[in-house]
Amino acid sequence: MAEFVGAFAASHAPLIVRDWNKFAPVRRGEITTAFRELGRRVAAAHPDVLVVLSPDHWVNFFLDNLPSICIGLGDSHEGPPEPFMKDFPYRPVPGHAAFGRHLFATALAQDFEPSASHYLTLDHGFCIPLSRIELENLPRIVPVIVNDLEPPMLSVRRCLEWGKLVTRAIESYPEKLRIAVFATGGLSHSIGEPDMGRIDEDFDRACIQVFQDGRDASLVEFLERRMAAAGNGTHEVRNWVIAHAAAGSCGFDLIDYRAVPEVYVGCGWASWRR
Amino acid sequence: MTDYWLSKLFFDLQRPEAAAEYRADRRKVLARYPLAPDVVTAILADDLAFLAPRVNPYLLRYYFGAAGVAEDVFLAKLRATGKEAKHG
Repeated sequence: MAEFVGAFAASHAPLIVRDWNKFAPVRRGEITTAFRELGRRVAAAHPDVLVVLSPDHWVNFFLDNLPSICIGLGDSHEGPPEPFMKDFPYRPVPGHAAFGRHLFATALAQDFEPSASHYLTLDHGFCIPLSRIELENLPRIVPVIVNDLEPPMLSVRRCLEWGKLVTRAIESYPEKLRIAVFATGGLSHSIGEPDMGRIDEDFDRACIQVFQDGRDASLVEFLERRMAAAGNGTHEVRNWVIAHAAAGSCGFDLIDYRAVPEVYVGCGWASWRR
Repeated sequence: MTDYWLSKLFFDLQRPEAAAEYRADRRKVLARYPLAPDVVTAILADDLAFLAPRVNPYLLRYYFGAAGVAEDVFLAKLRATGKEAKHG
């Protein structure tokens, strides 16, 4: 049977790539160090497959077709289309169709209704963290797009249920595989809104605390009360919630948190205990 | 009050070749979309305060980049809309 071997999370932001050479060396060092430590932990888990949770930044989906959750079933996926991502090293991105199909079937069998795609384009949300963690070999991935951009969105409670479902799918997959969960996005940020660039450090530190405490009821209460006011990009914390529940809601190890005004994002890097 | 066709225009302009065509001739591209006259007027005037409530904020940011507006200029206009809203 397959085995759950870890859950991880990292923020993403286009400017991490687009403006990289404009950052002070100290800032580049902080971001590089955090991603490398996360990469070291991912590598130490020896995953054969990564289930990667990220939003779609208007690349695959539009208002005419906007799934709340879409599971990538392909053997491969398209790399990022953004011009600033032209140096992304993994093209096409290797997928794991069999586990993707198993996750999809498990979801339907257990009264979840995801969408599915046999060929996704993975934007910077997926690909900046996947490249910046600098793995020697990128495992095959099963991308899961979570609608974090356009309301209405999944409730935080439902994200917890999705996390548990992902782990049930992993543990019921008949092949001997090591599978990890990797969430991207968050923490606080505001994009295209009048307060664009505002980072809510108070929210971020409180959010980190509720993840560390590992109590689902507190996490749900906190995020439902505070997430929307911390900026529209903050909705990506939903992906962290899924990873948190996949790991058994046992609290996590914060690798680093930095408010990074250069990229408009409160950036966090973490791995979960189980 | 999402405007579907305005959103579709902004979505389509993410493609670099579409953005280049748009920067060369806005009216030609706009004619392909069934946009309301006041929306066209707002687009041609870069009236961010009018456009912002009608599209997803991420698409709004993409659009002004595609239209050739520098990010610092976009940010200044965007923040001004917030101040206008606060002061009524």
